[in-house]
Amino acid sequence: MTLKAEEILERLKERLGDAILSYEIKEYKMGVKKPRTYQEIWMEINRDAFRKAVEAIFEIDYPHLHFITGEDVGEALTMIYSFGVFHSHPWGEVSIVMKLSLPKDNPVLPTITDLMIGAETNEREIREMLGVEFEGLKNKRHLFLPDDWSEGKYPWRRDEYGVEDMIKHTHKSVREIRKQRGEQNG
Amino acid sequence: MAKTTYYIPVGPIHPALKEPIRVEAEVEGEKIVKVDVKRGFAHRGIEYMGMKRNAIQTLYLSERICGICSISHPYAFVIASEKALGIEAPPRAQYIRTIIAELERIHSHILWLGVIAHEIGFDPLLFWTWKGREKVLDILEAITGNRINYAMYMIGGVRRDLKESHIKALRDMITYYWEFTEHMKEVFLSDPVYKARTRGVAQLSKEMALKLNVVGPTARAAGIRMDVRQDIPYDAYADMDVKAIVPQDIVGEARGDAYDITMVRLYEIEQSLDIIEFCLDNLPEGKILAIPNYVALLNKIKKTEGEAIGAHEAPRGEVIHYLKYDGTRDGPAVWKVIAPSYNNINSWAPLLLGAEVADIPVVVAYIDPCMCCNDRVAVVEDSSGRLLDYSYLHKKAVEKTRKLEKELGVRR
Repeated sequence: MTLKAEEILERLKERLGDAILSYEIKEYKMGVKKPRTYQEIWMEINRDAFRKAVEAIFEIDYPHLHFITGEDVGEALTMIYSFGVFHSHPWGEVSIVMKLSLPKDNPVLPTITDLMIGAETNEREIREMLGVEFEGLKNKRHLFLPDDWSEGKYPWRRDEYGVEDMIKHTHKSVREIRKQRGEQNG
Repeated sequence: MAKTTYYIPVGPIHPALKEPIRVEAEVEGEKIVKVDVKRGFAHRGIEYMGMKRNAIQTLYLSERICGICSISHPYAFVIASEKALGIEAPPRAQYIRTIIAELERIHSHILWLGVIAHEIGFDPLLFWTWKGREKVLDILEAITGNRINYAMYMIGGVRRDLKESHIKALRDMITYYWEFTEHMKEVFLSDPVYKARTRGVAQLSKEMALKLNVVGPTARAAGIRMDVRQDIPYDAYADMDVKAIVPQDIVGEARGDAYDITMVRLYEIEQSLDIIEFCLDNLPEGKILAIPNYVALLNKIKKTEGEAIGAHEAPRGEVIHYLKYDGTRDGPAVWKVIAPSYNNINSWAPLLLGAEVADIPVVVAYIDPCMCCNDRVAVVEDSSGRLLDYSYLHKKAVEKTRKLEKELGVRR
């Protein structure tokens, strides 16, 4: 049995109460000959309720983790988790996209690897790319970055911990580089 | 006490690997007792680069994430962009996109069948399957102009139309592949040696597959009916009822081993042929781009504040992109790419434990890994550990080209 986005949201509200700061159900129409719609739940939650929210999702249905990502928004980090519940049902998968704000002076979240071991890859990537610490994550080795990567440098950060000073030419065109160096075209 | 285990490192550079990854195994006799997988040898920081470029440049950059399924990433990117922008591709473009994606699935699956045959030491089969793969590559070249990196998709449509001659060639191709796949099924699925070599190898239970978060054929072989084309359909897939191909529907039970995954991939080729046929029979007329003017499109992106996720079922599994337009620049402010191998490599360590050394290639090849997809800061060092800068590398490259030109007698 599958649940509709509204019913899932109801259940999450029951469990989380005030911890849901805002929510939205997005609807997308797909198809040409016989268009149908599917829904996605987008919600912002309080960081303290993160673990409870994940547990609530796991109670509804064992989800598929789409991705974990984050953004440096200046004074804080916005973490984005996306789970898909009721996958393997035609037109039934509902994506639950959960956002939470993490202060930069305490970027710690509980791990979800005890519920889903496959999430280790995602958490290790976020840990090295954004500098978020996951409590309970056992394997803390670098995933993509080399083992001798400089400490305290996180490629996705936009502050002093970022890698702007390490990157020279990846985002410039050849013309820009030549101009900068005072070279003639050719 | 004497040492009973030995350490075998495989990769990152190894004659048996086509792409760089490192598997470190500790073996006791023939049995693997400890495994560690290291990835990241092909990480190029593509997401970082994308966040510095405009959306159209990023779209073609995304095509270069993977060299095999080069349309999968652009597909997820255009779906996410269209959802964020609130535009819809014209019906004809939606059908053309689906056709190209399915053509790619056919060539990718046949490629895998060849690779697995090679990994178990059956090279004539590799050459035979890859000979059969040429046909679909020719069709792709005829339609898009390239065998790989087709540059076909655009946010809100496609860049090239299908001509009558293409449609005829596609119909011929469908007939050819029905016969060829039938033949492949016979060769792979009824061969006792193939069966002996793959049955029970790399076996993944349904429960483990869920916990490891694996996707695509790897999950389906374990019996999970998950397929983005069925769960959250898009484009022409939404007009037909795509059903996930699982072994229990074919032979009554799913064992999740290398034999089952072969079966899933073979039947998916037939499913792709059906999908292409449906698209050709129902191909709508009309324009192919929602916003034909690229400057107008970029302006619209610049004015859009919005975020969305876009998913596509690539040959290896779910490709999912998250992107956010912040209304200040014409490219994504945040871009996250998840490729199927990112999740599927999770299965290596548990599967290799207890397996035999000779099974390493099968377990590794079983998920059809794609390192360039999985890894996405280029630091080049010489032997003393010194950082080599761009101008030095460029100078070296020019020197080498000149030297080669001289040796070969090429005149400029």
